[in-house]
Amino acid sequence: METLGFLIDGFGVALAPHNLMFGLMGAFLGTLIGALPGLGPANGVAILIPLAFTLGLAPETALIMLTAVYAGAMYGGRISSILLNIPGDEPAMMTCLDGYPMAQQGKAAEALAISAVASFMGSLIATIGLILLAPLLADFALTFGPAEYFALFLLAFATLGGITGKNPMKTVVAACLGLMISTVGIDNTGVQRFTFGVLELYEGVDFILAIVGLFAISELLFFIEEKAGGGKEKMSVNKLELSWADIRGIMPSSIRGGILGFIAGVLPGAGASLGSFIGYTLEKKVVGKKGYFGKGDPRGVAGPEAGNNGASSGALVPMLTLGVPGSGTTAVLLALLISLNITPGPLMFTQNADMVWGVIAALLIGNFLLLVLNIPLVGIFVKLLSVPPMYLLPIVTMIAFVGIYSISNTTFDLYFMVAFGIAGYILRKLEIPLVPIILGLLLGPEMEKNLRHALDIADGDWTILWNSGLAVGLWVFAALGLILPYIVGPILRRRMRAAEAAAGSEGD
Amino acid sequence: MTFNDRIFGILLLVLAVAYGWGASQFPEPFGGAEAIGPETFPYLLAAVLGLSSLYLIVRPDPDNAWPWSRTGVELLIAMVVLVFYAALLEPLGFIVSTALAVGTLCWRMGAAPLRAFATGAISGVVVFLLFSYALDLSLPLGLLSFLEVS
Repeated sequence: METLGFLIDGFGVALAPHNLMFGLMGAFLGTLIGALPGLGPANGVAILIPLAFTLGLAPETALIMLTAVYAGAMYGGRISSILLNIPGDEPAMMTCLDGYPMAQQGKAAEALAISAVASFMGSLIATIGLILLAPLLADFALTFGPAEYFALFLLAFATLGGITGKNPMKTVVAACLGLMISTVGIDNTGVQRFTFGVLELYEGVDFILAIVGLFAISELLFFIEEKAGGGKEKMSVNKLELSWADIRGIMPSSIRGGILGFIAGVLPGAGASLGSFIGYTLEKKVVGKKGYFGKGDPRGVAGPEAGNNGASSGALVPMLTLGVPGSGTTAVLLALLISLNITPGPLMFTQNADMVWGVIAALLIGNFLLLVLNIPLVGIFVKLLSVPPMYLLPIVTMIAFVGIYSISNTTFDLYFMVAFGIAGYILRKLEIPLVPIILGLLLGPEMEKNLRHALDIADGDWTILWNSGLAVGLWVFAALGLILPYIVGPILRRRMRAAEAAAGSEGD
Repeated sequence: MTFNDRIFGILLLVLAVAYGWGASQFPEPFGGAEAIGPETFPYLLAAVLGLSSLYLIVRPDPDNAWPWSRTGVELLIAMVVLVFYAALLEPLGFIVSTALAVGTLCWRMGAAPLRAFATGAISGVVVFLLFSYALDLSLPLGLLSFLEVS
């Protein structure tokens, strides 16, 4: 099998000593980032991108390190869900339902260990799924013409809010803003657009500083507003007493959760939150009366946690094969690819095969590393939870400043980053999602290029954009992505809230 | 209350019109106009943004409260600190400006002043040393440039 050969080559790349070292470092940093309050995975990866550049890492090393950070952050997110009942990010919400009650019953160590094993299973399943599915999808994507790509980008934007998204119109607004910013600079016919004669704008707006500003700086401002600087009280973790029978007990739940999560991750518009939600409800249905969900059932920790991690690996499939990310964090990884001068998409599988497979192999290895890292070192990560944000966030801000400054050594970029941060804060207040802005910035140039190609081929005939069956299909799905949230969204959201409320009242 | 979305919608509409007008002012590319020029994609964006901002004006979401009074002042202080940090990074040097900026932010977020500025100073020195010796990248020394050894 061809894939197997590539994968073995990939292991060759990923197991090279320095790659392995940076992978391990990334996994550790990622777990840290996931565990620390106020630093989500997208945020963490964003701050580390400039540092990866200043380190002068080789492209595959940088990519391996940041993929490990991504995987690690997903592991770390569960720690605060279980110990503090605060989900580190949205997908970890479902882990709170049974994880926190377990911690209250003095079984925090077991809950953490179980969730680590479940995360491992979820990621493992999804990575295998990625290995099987990605080459097929990449081959299929080779048949796409410019018109299909244009429609595909629209689909990506339309489904970004997800079925559970609140107001799809705000996603459209955000996408437009991002695309508009991406048109600043000299275009490929040599015309200056929206540069206002400012020299620094000729090359366009660097998306890295937009990302760091929108995510990291706006987070600082949000913490100040919520006066959440004090941090949480220290949690103690009991000594781990976990038997093999316990692990066997959660295996079926983890496997089911992982498969479901992977599917939810691959599908546009579903995302990790829906993955863990479905994982949890399915577990409840399958186990039925024998379970005690909401009161600290280990299977209620395993199912959603596997689903959440499965979805995050699944989300890499569209990002790697089509160049179209489905979530905030994969968008940030896409930013990394673009700034490494690698065009993501089907061609990457042929032109940069060693890198793609190196990253996939690194995901597999990273999973084992994370499992090994997580069970004995959990004490360290737990201690970090009590680092008060009032010290942490200013330091994170400083690291963002250093990172951006060290790329270009100009203060102009820093002002830009601060401006993006303040804008990000205001937009979040208005409930305008930030991820479509980032995606617009990233995909804008490609999207315009494809539009131009398509129209040039057809000599200005706009109907070319929906001239093939495939393109029409993509348009239909894009339209559904915008319409469905109005119909299905309220129902799903109500159910998720109901599940949460029910578990909350039972748990207390 | 639905002022936020309406006001924001109006601002976006203005932006869409201005952006579209800006696109219409592009000079013709060298080699003559083609079926699709540098202004086509911006026109599309302006149209979509215009329509969606109209939607926001017509069907706004309920408002999130803005933090006025004290929290608002704290936010403004933080924003000013960030701008000053960017402005003073080069003249004052990395260590001094970091000590001031991180210290002020920690302090305003609720840390005791002494501990706050100590955190700022220590983190500034640590990151500076890390960058200069481990990563071999130079950050500006500014006021402390008399310490330069090489």
